[in-house]
Amino acid sequence: MSILVNANTRVLVQGITGFQGRMDTEYSLAYGTKIVCGVTPGRGGERVHNVPTFNTVRSAVSAVPVDASLLYVPATALRDAALEAIDAGIKLMVATTENVPRHDAALIVAEAQRNGVSIIGFNTNGIITPGECKLGGIGGDHPERSYVPGRIGVCSRSGGMSAEISWTLKKAGLGVSTCVSMGGDPITGLMMIDYLRLFESDPATDAMVIFGEPGSAHEQGVASALAAGEFRKPVFAIIAGAFQESYPKGVSFGHVAAMIADEADTATAKRRLLADSGAIVVDGLDALALAVRQRVNAPSVAAR
Amino acid sequence: MIRLTEDKTKSWLAARGLPVPKGVAVNNAQEAADAVTGFGGAVIKALVATGRRGKAGAVRVVSDAKAARDAATAILGLSVGEHLVERLYVEEKVDIGREFYLAFSFDGRSPSVVASINGGVDIEDVHRNSPESIVHHAVDAVHGVRFWDALALWEAAKAPKESLAGLARITVNVWHAFHDADALTLEINPLAADGKNNLSLVGAMMGIDPNAIFRQPQWQADASEQGATAGRPTAGELAVAEANRTLPGGAVRYTELDGEIGMLVGGGGASLLVHDMILARGSRPANHTDSSPGPITEKLKVMLREILRNPNTRGLLLAYNRLQMARCDTKMEALADALRQSGVDPRTFPIVVRLVGPTEQRAREIAAEFPGIEYLDDDASLDDAVALIVQRTRCARAVAE
Repeated sequence: MSILVNANTRVLVQGITGFQGRMDTEYSLAYGTKIVCGVTPGRGGERVHNVPTFNTVRSAVSAVPVDASLLYVPATALRDAALEAIDAGIKLMVATTENVPRHDAALIVAEAQRNGVSIIGFNTNGIITPGECKLGGIGGDHPERSYVPGRIGVCSRSGGMSAEISWTLKKAGLGVSTCVSMGGDPITGLMMIDYLRLFESDPATDAMVIFGEPGSAHEQGVASALAAGEFRKPVFAIIAGAFQESYPKGVSFGHVAAMIADEADTATAKRRLLADSGAIVVDGLDALALAVRQRVNAPSVAAR
Repeated sequence: MIRLTEDKTKSWLAARGLPVPKGVAVNNAQEAADAVTGFGGAVIKALVATGRRGKAGAVRVVSDAKAARDAATAILGLSVGEHLVERLYVEEKVDIGREFYLAFSFDGRSPSVVASINGGVDIEDVHRNSPESIVHHAVDAVHGVRFWDALALWEAAKAPKESLAGLARITVNVWHAFHDADALTLEINPLAADGKNNLSLVGAMMGIDPNAIFRQPQWQADASEQGATAGRPTAGELAVAEANRTLPGGAVRYTELDGEIGMLVGGGGASLLVHDMILARGSRPANHTDSSPGPITEKLKVMLREILRNPNTRGLLLAYNRLQMARCDTKMEALADALRQSGVDPRTFPIVVRLVGPTEQRAREIAAEFPGIEYLDDDASLDDAVALIVQRTRCARAVAE
């Protein structure tokens, strides 16, 4: 078991003929992901790593049954590509595109909500259910270096930290049920709380790890649900970026700092809120490994 | 966000049929004096892309050309926030009976609109003194703002009924102006009504989404004027900002700080965590970096050169989260290049490297050409890397002192 994707998930790749789409398709196929078709307007009829390519999502899904779409589309074309997928009846999308215009992101998410579509991203590095499948760049060409099957669910705002956290768990003799890099943009489709609810109801997950940053209300949603007693499984949290509070206001550290709207969005406020709500908040990766090992008694690595 | 100056915001609004006072941007006191001649009364304002100009004494009401010249002379050269006033906006003074507030921005995953009948002052002050007079509605991005939505908004804000329809019509148009500009914020304050209930957009500030510049080329120049670094950038920050604009690859940001550990750490999440860990171990970084892990070797060379050139830097940590798609060797090549350029000797200047992932073997071979570089084993954690560089830098400082 897992959340959202597994060995049976049939995947369409939008933008399959581009450099990134082509490379990730190769790695994903090698890992076992069922990539069944691709779409690039004007390239219908071609094959990429033997995957048939169509001109439109509608023609692809009428030829081949599809469960999810993985988008490798530049920001300039994402709005149309995503709306096309929703229009064609796709119910799960993984949107890797970065630098998505905010109005486009808002429009796509609003359309998705009307149509019961789940979007992972934007600006996601992907999702992996170790040993079964991966969608996106997550894990690269050697996912097993960081991601091994197990019973911990991981949800990270940072793509790179998905690998770092999963490897930390691996080194501690643990493994991952599903790891999702949810995307660090101001607007994401699924929220952190959505992933944790899925992990809570997944019988193959014993505990969850979240990685958060300053800005956004994701952790506040998680804290409310924790405080309301929604989770029986332990939630471990790393919230990075508290250093920003030790510098004068106005010192810019890049995109993240710019988004801190008020005091509730700082790393320290999030850490305190999560801890008060019952999350196990840790300072770093070594501390994470220790804390998870102490709390999780279930078989550490799944037998599969 | 790309903040536009008032003249650009207002010409965008005027082009969409919105009622904006007549105005002109000028460069000096003489032009200001000339500009007011056609106006009964005028307002002279600093033309800088920031709010709170009134509080900084950078907005003055004048009645004739002489007063305009004096006001312009007084305002030119002032500092408003971090901005030096080099140009002015001269605007016809309009009769103001009532002042309203209207703003569009984003809140969470959807656009949002804020309205208040208490305009003309900072909305933060209104929020503090009479929060009940501020109405905040989410906007459905598919549906947009229709006339009846805007009526409901202003009804909830308790707008006087003689202004309701006019405010609603303007609100719909301002929504379109916000949306069509790919704006992240558009604030109208005050949205003024004269004695006859004619509405006018007297104050207007707009910020544009840099990710949408590909379809908003009219603001390309404004985008490149505004670097990533706030405040007064150092020479090193300027050099990296320049490299960021002109060299290929994903975005990099570089901020110089008062500590001693040079850090080139990526991606974004790892750089936040490592910075926290350095502080937790009682040291301080000499800089912060933010870079995507992708192919940005040329930019990394410049950033590493500036890190090594920063006189505060006593040691360097080159660390990435475990790489999945990105290469290790190009990052190590960038460091090798910076070392050769700078003449820094890793035997006396501590350098700790933690690079794991694709092309790691090649990266290790390059590092081996520089005795003194401590390239950590495959199973070293980011915590290990931070612990080592903090300790090594502390030793280097002790030796130097």
